[in-house]
Amino acid sequence: MIGGLGSLTAGRWLLIGLGVLIAAVFPLVYTNPYYMTIIVTAEIILILNISWNFILGMAGVWNFGQLAIYALGAYGSGYIMLHYTSVPVAIAIVLGGVLSAGISFLLAIPTLRLFGIYTSLLTFSFAQVVQYTALNDPHLGFSDEGLTGGSFGYPAVPGLFPDYGQEAYLRAYYWVCLGVIIASCFAVAWLRQSHLGYALRSARDAPAYTAARGVDLRAARIAAFVLSGFLAGVAGALYLSFNQSFTTSQMGLTPMSIDVTMLVIGGLGTVTGPIIGTAIVTAIQTKLINYPGWTLTVLGAALLVIVIFVPGGFVGLFSRVNRRISTWVSEGDEPPPGDPEPDQRLVA
Amino acid sequence: MSDLLLDVRGLRAGYDRAVVIHDLDLAVEPAKTAVVIGPNGHGKTTMLRAIAGLLQPWAGEVTLDGRRVDGEPAERIAGLGVVHVMQGDGLFAGMTVEENLLMGSFLGSSWRGRREALRRVYQALPLVEEKRAQKARTLSGGERRLVGLGRGMMRPARLMLIDEPSLGLAPVAIEAVYAALADLRKESEAAVLLIEENFTHVGGIADVVHVLEAGAIIRSGSYAELSTDETIVQTYLGALPEAGR
Amino acid sequence: MTDVVAILANGFIYGSIYGLVAIGMTLIYGTLRILDMSQGSMVMAGSYVGWWALAEHGVNALVALVLAFIVTFILGTATELVSVQPLINRAKEVDLEMVTFITTFAVAILITNLALQHFGPFQKNVPVIVSGHVELVKGVTISYHELTMAGISIVLMGSLGLFLARTRWGLAVRAVAQDLDAARSMGVPVTRLYPLTMGLASALAGVGGVFLGGLYFASPTAGDQPLLFALIVVVLGGLGSLTGTIYAAYLVGLIQAFTEVRYGTTWTLTILYAAILAILLVRPYGLKGSPSEARL
Repeated sequence: MIGGLGSLTAGRWLLIGLGVLIAAVFPLVYTNPYYMTIIVTAEIILILNISWNFILGMAGVWNFGQLAIYALGAYGSGYIMLHYTSVPVAIAIVLGGVLSAGISFLLAIPTLRLFGIYTSLLTFSFAQVVQYTALNDPHLGFSDEGLTGGSFGYPAVPGLFPDYGQEAYLRAYYWVCLGVIIASCFAVAWLRQSHLGYALRSARDAPAYTAARGVDLRAARIAAFVLSGFLAGVAGALYLSFNQSFTTSQMGLTPMSIDVTMLVIGGLGTVTGPIIGTAIVTAIQTKLINYPGWTLTVLGAALLVIVIFVPGGFVGLFSRVNRRISTWVSEGDEPPPGDPEPDQRLVA
Repeated sequence: MSDLLLDVRGLRAGYDRAVVIHDLDLAVEPAKTAVVIGPNGHGKTTMLRAIAGLLQPWAGEVTLDGRRVDGEPAERIAGLGVVHVMQGDGLFAGMTVEENLLMGSFLGSSWRGRREALRRVYQALPLVEEKRAQKARTLSGGERRLVGLGRGMMRPARLMLIDEPSLGLAPVAIEAVYAALADLRKESEAAVLLIEENFTHVGGIADVVHVLEAGAIIRSGSYAELSTDETIVQTYLGALPEAGR
Repeated sequence: MTDVVAILANGFIYGSIYGLVAIGMTLIYGTLRILDMSQGSMVMAGSYVGWWALAEHGVNALVALVLAFIVTFILGTATELVSVQPLINRAKEVDLEMVTFITTFAVAILITNLALQHFGPFQKNVPVIVSGHVELVKGVTISYHELTMAGISIVLMGSLGLFLARTRWGLAVRAVAQDLDAARSMGVPVTRLYPLTMGLASALAGVGGVFLGGLYFASPTAGDQPLLFALIVVVLGGLGSLTGTIYAAYLVGLIQAFTEVRYGTTWTLTILYAAILAILLVRPYGLKGSPSEARL
């Protein structure tokens, strides 16, 4: 599986390095606990979005069950944290990811035979079923509040840094999440250029051709599910650990709408898209926190507008502007007259 | 108005980034039948689709009886009296023969007018009438082609665009189709633009023949002229056509 | 054996209303080749119209239904014009199915939140269309409301079928579904047909919403479950197949009735999901679907 970050120029590396540095130093300078909480939560959602972007955007698989996978990671790791207290919490989180990966694997199998839209139904119903089962859970009983705590949410767990003071707690989580984000972004960028990445992207764009070329689409798809599932599970586990709770309202249509908006606004299928999208939408949400009903209305409208007018999201917008500028600069290489514009797909 | 029913100039069209036809000029006179022949993949269907409005041309002009129509959508061009009999019949597979025919007169005026057209077509094509209640997908290739033609006859047309009526058919079926076409020419005042891969059968109906190669028209002439031209004959037939047909 | 009667009766009733709500989605998929995720919110809108008309203004039931039809027809047409039409014009560049999934979804979010803003988050009681019950067998009662719901659903579905089979425009809709280019060549004005089709489909869902409102209540999220059920029915029946949708609707209705009677409502969705899974494994294109088959 040859991968690579070869497409990154020196200039880009510099920018990335700078960004990482700023991000890392940030909590040392900024300490407002209210906003820090929002930021860390946003980081966790970003991890989820990165995972979802990988399967939905890059692999082009109509997976609308990612939130359920995320939740299952939370529940799984929570279970271990509560009942197997000898296991270090960090391991529990990883195990939550593994559980999610396993479930994703199972979910992937039926989708292999299905085409596009049918996968959306399968995964969507899966998500609904998980949500309803979790909601009605008190009857499943492993402890007083069942496996998931039902609609009351998960009971408190020993998190990663149970004894830290507030400021240190926030910072510690900030850095842990930042680490995961950076690692997964690099992983995604690397995978993108790897055999797997190419297989997934060409399977997304031209499935018949890809199959004819002898690429094992099924293995690629399963890999995509498993990898994104793992990351989503870790995100869920981190959420539970950080917030000391996890309710079923984390799944369902509303958070799904918000996450989809984040993905699309940023640019579905791109590496940096989720970062930009999550940042923008979180900013909007924070601004509108005093006007509860309006958040979703604004987001819904934004989603509509962006998808129709700027299908590539912000990243797509940048690259289009970039392209226009470079064609303007290289005047001599005009495309032949009458040829249509290079296509701006929703998925890069 | 101009004495050309259809005037195509400098037409340029294709798919995605592939230019298929470039700088194509073609003219069709009222009530005449123009046949365009040429090898597969060289742009005959693309040309027809661009004229019919199913494809947006990138450059050039298409003028129908004095009115510019390039860039108009297919449904509007159809409303101007253009009937497009598509390649491989384009029938509505899930509908019966009669329903297909009725769709042909979608733009027709009234219920009575449509019934009248139906009667006329059944009279002209008794084979089609026989199968009126059958689903289109159950018919043979030749039968479907006749239904497609019949459907094209369901409303008054100024210009008929016919795409490879003999494609994939057995010789007997081709005879039937061209017999129907010959009848059509007699009955109707429409100009016809017909494309075929080779011209073995078109002699009986063609007023003028054009040769389309690599996206542009390279030769034009009467059937008599072209059928005696060695290069044309060898490229498209490999042998001389039988006398008269 | 009262169980059997209960299952059949409830299955029939559920199936009928699911059919009504789902058939619009099938109509839309058949002609536009998209999954309309705003159908659920059309049901919700219909419920609110029902509440407004029946509870707030005490109008006649028939008027309420007609009103719901009109309001959701307009909503549906507007939805198409805003969230689908601009993309159809660029069908070459974008993956239409996935993008419209998102845009119609966005419209659903908008409508839901506008309802939330305007009506508040609390459920509103929608009066039933007809009151009273009838006892079928000892221990099994169904309300007249449910019977009317099933009856009207069947009438509407039948009317749609007749419309498609017998009228000039109905034929045109089927033509567009079966071969878009050929339909355009016959002069069918697709840019007008698309919004009207979506309007019609939404209107059917809206009428269903009035009934469902009476059965449950009107609330901003009242569209979520109908959407899910409609999706299940539509895909199970085979995308774009009207007869498939109807079979699937009754099948889903029966499964739901069966699980409710035997195991209580908590497990319905889980069992339904298992059933979907099983069916999709064996027939990946649903009961009556197939990738290239002519539709509608």
